[in-house]
Amino acid sequence: MMATWLRPWLLVPVAVGVLAAGQIWMSHLRYELALENQRVNTDRQETLQQSSTLRLELANLTRPERLRKTAQEKLGMAPPKPMQVVHL
Amino acid sequence: MSDKQQVYIRRRIEAVAGLLVLGLLLLVVRAVDLQWVQSDRLTTMAEKQRYREYTALAPRGSIYDSKGRTLAESVEIPSIAAMADEVPAERMGELASALGLSTKTVQHKLGKRKGFVWLARQVPPSVAERVMALNIPGVRHEKEWRRYQPMGPETGHLLGFVGIDGKGLEGVERAWNASLTGESGLRQVRRDARGHSLPDGTWLREPVPGQPMTLTIDATIQSIAYAALAEGVRDQDAKGGSVVVMRPKDGAILAMASWPGFNPNNFRHAKPGEWRNRAVTDVFEPGSTMKPFSVATAMASGKWKADSIVYCEKGAMKVADYTIHDDHPEGWLDLTGIIVKSSNIGVAKLALDVGAAPLHAMLERAGFGRRSSLGLGGESPGIVLPLDRWGPVETANIAFGQGIAVTPLQLAAAFSVLANEGVYVAPKLFADQLQDVEKTSERVMPQDIAHQMKGMLEYATSQDGTGSKAVPVGYHVAGKTGTAQKANAQGGYSKGRYNAVFAGFAPVENPELVIVVVVDEPKRSNYGGQVAAPVFRHVAESALPYLGIMAERDQQPDWQTMQIAAEAPAFEHESLYGMSMREVRRLAAQRGLRLHVHGSGWVGRQKPGNIMALNQGDAVEVWLNE
Repeated sequence: MMATWLRPWLLVPVAVGVLAAGQIWMSHLRYELALENQRVNTDRQETLQQSSTLRLELANLTRPERLRKTAQEKLGMAPPKPMQVVHL
Repeated sequence: MSDKQQVYIRRRIEAVAGLLVLGLLLLVVRAVDLQWVQSDRLTTMAEKQRYREYTALAPRGSIYDSKGRTLAESVEIPSIAAMADEVPAERMGELASALGLSTKTVQHKLGKRKGFVWLARQVPPSVAERVMALNIPGVRHEKEWRRYQPMGPETGHLLGFVGIDGKGLEGVERAWNASLTGESGLRQVRRDARGHSLPDGTWLREPVPGQPMTLTIDATIQSIAYAALAEGVRDQDAKGGSVVVMRPKDGAILAMASWPGFNPNNFRHAKPGEWRNRAVTDVFEPGSTMKPFSVATAMASGKWKADSIVYCEKGAMKVADYTIHDDHPEGWLDLTGIIVKSSNIGVAKLALDVGAAPLHAMLERAGFGRRSSLGLGGESPGIVLPLDRWGPVETANIAFGQGIAVTPLQLAAAFSVLANEGVYVAPKLFADQLQDVEKTSERVMPQDIAHQMKGMLEYATSQDGTGSKAVPVGYHVAGKTGTAQKANAQGGYSKGRYNAVFAGFAPVENPELVIVVVVDEPKRSNYGGQVAAPVFRHVAESALPYLGIMAERDQQPDWQTMQIAAEAPAFEHESLYGMSMREVRRLAAQRGLRLHVHGSGWVGRQKPGNIMALNQGDAVEVWLNE
């Protein structure tokens, strides 16, 4: 038996309340996701930046002039003469 | 209630109702004013409060060498700025100290205007952290892109450099600024009541990084060329120089170096004159390196053959009122001898015989007098006089490389014609241009003439030639030395100021590299063979093995082995003994033998002893004596 205080028109405020709560929850979820997205994007930017810096560092460390100087001054090496180079 | 009272009350109700209606009307009017008339302005004001837009700078495109090694890259680094009117005066000293500047400098910068001012741009991250830790009102941390070229001076002239605002100012960075520059983005973020940015920003326009570029340059060969040039210039106490290394088959520029160098990462420390890429901007008289083209023109005319002989007037010849001299007076020389002995009179006679027009046409087809469309700014077209100004003196002079001006790049492209058996291939600096080799190729001289020129230029680097110092052990080199007096401001030639040049290619059998070396005002020697040829050798002997082109072991005297006949004798002459140099050359040319000549006169010794066992392409060495 339906309770006496239950009236069909009560569905309207209840629906409005549920929708409003849903809207608030969605908004919160959107904010959280946007925050997460921002964090991921920042991480991505930082990784790209780091990769760019590392690429530059690698290019700097492996530049032929530096390798030549290191080989000659630290390791006492000399450039090979053409006759000393053998390609297998 | 009397009628009078009722009327009074009605009037009052009507008055109040009227006022209410009036009030409502005013509200409606105001609402229309706000919502309709002032809508755009008020929306903009509201959005300005709620939203903030900021520009995100995009990085420039990276530049890579042909093997994908980084030649130029942009990295994000901090800069310090301030809203000038918001910085408290009492904290300026603290700020200046953290920035490493004087208080006066900071005061001057902040005093210039009220709004945004840069305090220190592109500072190390540690400095930025130190400044921001002070938490001074109005001081801001900004991010900017800074360009780095890891190879520094080695690629400085070629790549150029980028200004602090990210604009290319020299070299490739300047010429290709539009495609290297990225498009900055615009991001909109919402702000909360306290002005803090909310995370749900949107891109109104996403930043687009600049286009990356891949050059034909090989970083290793570039470094070899720069080091060899630096050593050559220092040894000769010269003013400067340049080297161009080109792959003749497809025109790829593998290295382009100039001296004196400068560090493009710190370009302000160099004089502007040192920024220029001499290989494309500076012109010089090519001197004797022009002779192969004059001799090729003579041969292409059909009047002259490789074994035709020319009397070289014992060192002096008058053309109109002008006397041409040879450094080494010669009598009769064949065309090979003219190249090997570098006789000015010999080539002048050839040029005067065939006339100005064919030589002018040959030089034009070989790329002289026009820009190469390499894609670099400031490229000089060189100077080739118009044909109507070629009198006998001009024709004779141009034949041996005077009265004409070329760039090192043009000379390299022209020598690639000889390396490519007569086909000109336009030089290229960008990897994506290498697919269009066919479109940029043009036959300049018949194949057989180019082939014979190749042989002559190989003789020019033999022990008897002027370019012997250009030959690395184990390789055959074809090339020509050049020594040219520099022009002075009065239109004549300056005394004691020379350009020493060597242009050539290696290995002769299958040319992989064309190398041009120009040394500007060497002090210890003026000759191309003494100054520029050793630089050529240095580059060739390092670059060829690196490219996988093996040295021939039978070129090493210690390892020389005796050829054993495996087939039936191919020649009717059993021996070269007693033959003249001309006869030996003719025989070698007929049989396709590679000839190495020592001395002059008649053959007294040969190696190998039995030439009948030799096949086409084999080497024979002869010693001549009077």
